Amino acid sequence: MVNSKISIGIIGMGRMGITHYSIINGHPDVVIESVADPSGLIMTLMNKYLPLKTYKNYNELFRGSTPDAILVCTPPDLHYPIIKSAAEKGIHVFVEKPFTTKLAEASELAHIYSGNRLVNQVGYVNRFNDIFLKVKEFLDNGVIGKVIRFKSEMFSCTISRSAESSGWRSSRGSGGGAVFEMASHAIDLVNFLIGKPDKVIGSSLNKIFSKNVEDAVSSTFLYKNGVTGTIYINWSDTSYRKPTNKIEIFGDDGKIFADQHSLKIFLNKPNEKFKLREGWNTLYITDVFKPVPFYVRGNEFSSQLWHFIECIQGKVKTNNCTFADGNDTLEVIENIFNDYDLNGKI
Amino acid sequence: MERVDKIIFGDNQFFGINHMSQEKAQQLAEQFHNIENIFKVYHIAYEAGVRAFMLNSHAKAYDICKYFRENKSHFEGVSWYPSLPYAYKYANLVAEKGIIPAINEVLFNENTASGVFGMITKGSMAVLNKDAFKLMKMLVDVELRAFKGLNIKVAFLQNIITDLMLGYDIKEVFYEFCEHIRKKYNAMPGLVTQNMPYLKSKLEEWGITEVVICSSFNKIGYLMSPDRDSYITAANNNDSSKYQLIAMSTLASGAIPTKEAYDFINVQNIQSVVFGASSKNHITETIQLIKLK
Repeated sequence: MVNSKISIGIIGMGRMGITHYSIINGHPDVVIESVADPSGLIMTLMNKYLPLKTYKNYNELFRGSTPDAILVCTPPDLHYPIIKSAAEKGIHVFVEKPFTTKLAEASELAHIYSGNRLVNQVGYVNRFNDIFLKVKEFLDNGVIGKVIRFKSEMFSCTISRSAESSGWRSSRGSGGGAVFEMASHAIDLVNFLIGKPDKVIGSSLNKIFSKNVEDAVSSTFLYKNGVTGTIYINWSDTSYRKPTNKIEIFGDDGKIFADQHSLKIFLNKPNEKFKLREGWNTLYITDVFKPVPFYVRGNEFSSQLWHFIECIQGKVKTNNCTFADGNDTLEVIENIFNDYDLNGKI
Repeated sequence: MERVDKIIFGDNQFFGINHMSQEKAQQLAEQFHNIENIFKVYHIAYEAGVRAFMLNSHAKAYDICKYFRENKSHFEGVSWYPSLPYAYKYANLVAEKGIIPAINEVLFNENTASGVFGMITKGSMAVLNKDAFKLMKMLVDVELRAFKGLNIKVAFLQNIITDLMLGYDIKEVFYEFCEHIRKKYNAMPGLVTQNMPYLKSKLEEWGITEVVICSSFNKIGYLMSPDRDSYITAANNNDSSKYQLIAMSTLASGAIPTKEAYDFINVQNIQSVVFGASSKNHITETIQLIKLK
C-alpha cells in the first residue's frame, strides 16, 4: 500500500523547531522524515533516538530528502532562501514569524506562492486563539458597530536583564529585537481583526536591557476610513509572568477588551444572535475553547499546525495566515522602522 | 505501588497563576507577595486535614520548604509532591541565550558543586553527546534541591516537558526519568500531562508502570486532549495498581461551580484530586465535597 502520510521536513531545531516537532509528530496523518540544523549536538541526539534523516542545513536536506512540506524555524533572515528553494521544488511551507526580515523578499515569496497551488502559512499563532477568533466573529458581525479606535498591546519578561548576548536575537538584520520577534504578533492581530493600516506615524523605540536591538516599541496606525489605533509592545516588563497580548477595540455600539484568556464586551444595546446583554458581558477561554487532538503548549499552537495539514489535505480551502498576510505584517513593520528613522529621534 | 493521598493541596494560587483571568492572577500575586500569607494558608490546609502538598520548583519553593523543615513539629505526617521544572525560567533563558547556554547557566549558577563545575567547563557538548540522560538527571537534581529533607512521595515532571517529550515518542526519556526518581529519591515518578489517554497508552506500550499521572479532569473538558469522553474511558479502563490518576483543574479555573465540579469528579475512576484555594472557607468546603470512590 502506498504511504499516504504527509512527509515533513523541519529546518531549524531551536526553540520553535523543537516545539513544532513534538506537536506535528502527534498528528496521525504526518510522518517527519528529515530535520536540518547546524548544531552537531541536537542532530546527534535526534539521530540517536529518532527514525529520521538529519542534515546540517536546508541545502543538504533538499538534496537528500523530498518532503511534501517543510516547517521553517530558522533565524528569520534565513527564511527567504529556504522558501525560495522550497517553491522551486513544489513543497508546502509553514514558516515561523516574522515571515522574513526584508519586505522585498516577503513580497516576492508571497507573489510566488499566490501563483502556485502550494499551501503557505506564517506562524502568527494569535489567529488560532479561541478568544481572538471570537473577537473576530463579533467584529465581522458588527456587534460593537463601526470600529473607530483600537489599542493593541503585548507584554512579556523575555529580556529582563542586561547580558552579553550573541546570536541572531541580538541583531535586527537577522530578525532579532522586540519589533520582529514580539510586536509582529500584536501588529498581525491588528491586521487580522481591523485590517492593515494605511499609514504609520509617531513610532518610537526604546532600549531597556538590550544593547543592539529595541526592547519596547509604540506606534500609531491611521486608516483611510477614519479608524485610528495604537500599538505598544514591551518585552522587558517583569510584571508579566508570561507573554500577554491585549487588545481594546472601541466601536459606536460598544467596546471589547480581550487577551488570550478572556474577553469583556460592553454593548449599548443587547445582541440576540450572540446572547449578549446591554452593558458588560464576560467570556472566558473556558466558554469558547475547542479541544485539540494533541496539546503541547497551548491550544492555538496545535490548531495552527493541524490547520496547515488540513490545508495540504484539501480539507480546508482557505488558509488563515498566508504569506500574503505575513507580507502585510512585514510592510507595517518596515513602515514603523522608517517612521522612527525619519521622525522618531530628536 | 504505594497509594497516593486522596486530597492534595496545590500551589498555583500562590504563584499568581490563574488560567482564566490574568486580573485574578495579579490579585493572587499581590496577596501572596508576603510569604507569611502563604504559610498561613498552609496552616489552614493542614488543620483542615490536608497531609499532601504539591509544589512547583518555583523560586519561592526554597522558602516554603525551609519553613516546613523548620516547623516540622507543626506539620507531622506530611507528604510532598514536587513538580519540576519551573518552565518560565527556562523559556526566558532560552529566548535570551539559546538552548545550550541556558542549560549551562542553570547548572552553573545554581550548582557550585565542583563536580558539576568541572563537567561544564569541559564543555557540555561533550557531556551531552556522551549521555543526554545524565544531563537530564542533573537538571532534575537541581530542581529538587529545595525539597531536601522533606518526605517526597511523588516527583512530577511538568506537563510542558512531559507533553513535549511525549510528542517525540522516545521511551528512554520517560524510563530514565522514572528510574531516577525511584532510585535516587525513593519516591514514585509522576507525569503531569494535558494528554492523559495518549500518555497512558504510550506508557503501557513501553511497559513503564507504577507511575502517577496527573492531568486536568473536569466536567467541561477544559485542557483535556483529545476530549473529555476519552479521559472518562481511559480512567474507567485503568488498573490503578499500574497507574494512579490525579485530577487537577477540576473547577476549570473557576468555570464550574464547586459542587457541580466534584459531583462529576466523585464518580470518575480516579485516585486523587489536587486543588488550590486560598481561604479557609474554600479549603474546608472543597475537602468536604471530595468523595472519591
